[in-house]
Amino acid sequence: MGVFDYSREALENLKIDDTGVLDRLVDFETARKVHLGKERAKKDKRISLKEAVAEFVQDGDVVMDTGFGYVRTCIQSHFEIMRQEKKNLQMIGAPNTNQSYMIITGAVTYSHNSYIGAEMRGTDRNYTRQLKAGKVKILSEWSHGGVAQGLKAAQLGSPGVLSKQMLASDIIKYNPYLKVMQNPIKKEPDPTVFIPALYPDVTFIHAQAADKYGNAYIYGPTVNDVAGAAASKKVVITAEEIVPESDIRYNKKGVIIPFFYADAVVELPYGALPGSMPGYYYWPRQWWEKLMRLAGPSDENMKDFIDEWIFGTKGPIDFVEKLGGARWMIEARRQTKAAEGDNEDIDFSYQEYKVGSDPGIFF
Amino acid sequence: MTDNAPANPLEILAYIISAQIRDHTIVYVGTGLPMVAGILARFTHAPNITMVYESGGQDPIHGGMPWSVGGPFTWRKSPTIMEMAYSFGQCYNGYVDIAFLGFAQVDMYGNVNTHMIGDNFLLPKARLTGSGGNNDLTSLAENMVLVGLQTPEKFPEKVDFITSVGHLRGGNTRKEAGLLGNGPVAVISQCGVFNFEPVTKRMRVKTLHPGMTFEVAQMCTGFELLKPEGEIPLTPMPSPEIIEILRKKVDPAGVFTSLPSA
Repeated sequence: MGVFDYSREALENLKIDDTGVLDRLVDFETARKVHLGKERAKKDKRISLKEAVAEFVQDGDVVMDTGFGYVRTCIQSHFEIMRQEKKNLQMIGAPNTNQSYMIITGAVTYSHNSYIGAEMRGTDRNYTRQLKAGKVKILSEWSHGGVAQGLKAAQLGSPGVLSKQMLASDIIKYNPYLKVMQNPIKKEPDPTVFIPALYPDVTFIHAQAADKYGNAYIYGPTVNDVAGAAASKKVVITAEEIVPESDIRYNKKGVIIPFFYADAVVELPYGALPGSMPGYYYWPRQWWEKLMRLAGPSDENMKDFIDEWIFGTKGPIDFVEKLGGARWMIEARRQTKAAEGDNEDIDFSYQEYKVGSDPGIFF
Repeated sequence: MTDNAPANPLEILAYIISAQIRDHTIVYVGTGLPMVAGILARFTHAPNITMVYESGGQDPIHGGMPWSVGGPFTWRKSPTIMEMAYSFGQCYNGYVDIAFLGFAQVDMYGNVNTHMIGDNFLLPKARLTGSGGNNDLTSLAENMVLVGLQTPEKFPEKVDFITSVGHLRGGNTRKEAGLLGNGPVAVISQCGVFNFEPVTKRMRVKTLHPGMTFEVAQMCTGFELLKPEGEIPLTPMPSPEIIEILRKKVDPAGVFTSLPSA
């Protein structure tokens, strides 16, 4: 591992005394070594989600939030990480929505923060509370684009990129990884921000389809997942469907994450729940409203909610049952196909969740 | 709400935002009212705009109102969907003309805060979302339009945290800091439309909405607003035809343009 020179101002502002906790995110040498040591043979990498989390997530790892908040995000894998009581994880991602509920149970204790919350559904009061209670420590602040460029730098095979993003903002004062420097090719003053290449320890990516070797097909926004897969030391592909390799070769015209990144492949239908999965299911909007409006405001409500929906379920099958079973499944497929323009338009209006009146089926 | 009811404040805001959009431009929009405004512009005075989103979705065909910038309506049958790094790169490289974003606080120089309320980052009064794409777009976009509610707390003299640099400390400081584009060119609130005085880059009233006075707008502001010379023009209001398009074609379910519990 290299020895790093972090921004002193940011370390002081964030009150980080032991910088060792920062190193693994920018530890290129170890990432390269791990990548060189990965299985090259095309072998059947299929295991269960339980096995994948047990084997590939270690306490203290930097975990990446993939997809886009609740669009093709590996949320069921996050839930399994919580069920197995993994500890002291760092979380990075753009967005980084799903760290919030992982903090209260102690799974995530460090945050590389870019965005928390659920957009139009309101602010994440749980995160504020956990921050004040000292249950999470922010190690670095980012813009979405800053994280995206750091991961992309890793995929590009570069120690980092010079960026115009985050310049002169307070974000820089709270990010030990960033350095403001003169653009070396310009004679006139041209400030830039150096963003180092970012190497998460473990990344779960939920794909529409994968073969047993780990070639993974993604449809819809790929966001930062291709870069994350290339950078991450360990990669677990979870997929709605496991298809023959020939299907990937001949039929899947789109984004493919190559098999050699993958350490494990998990067949995981409904693995993006409670998020949406392009081509497969729309997200249960009322579930997110319940999380933000009922669970968010207090630790007690949050814990009850987590007990019910995460610790009270073993995986996606239980989760589908709780959302409304077959009736939810049929409607969720209908919604997503119509939203994507593959089916005839439908009426998307629904009753927003109101505290005290459970919808029965979470549409 | 009946079809001939007068425009409500959200509908009026959607119209005012849409009026900022010129035809034949590439428009970067966030969820909520900016999206309504973009689609309204396309149905009215700017049929040839290309809308792009942080999901990377480029030029989706019209569908419903997305709740998330990653949702299907932001990339519905898009010819291509860019990765996140490239979708901001699009702004850097000059393929975005105007971007629309919200804020929790905006100051007299158009600096934006979406991070926190309070003076202690480690122990904030309230922790907010963080940057998301706000900083990226504000740093890079050629023209930025900020949209939000106006109160003295939301329009302070200094924001509690500079998430995104507007005109920094005024004058030439944005450019000297190395940022691209013109920065914020307009701020739109329930009071009026504001721009930035060209030399000092301080926020200045451009137009006031009907019924609003400079004094009331000033009362809703935590710093001294600049006043343009002469009489302050009224913000043009939407015609009944435009309101009909908004209600029938753009947001028929009233997702973003019906008032809560209306």
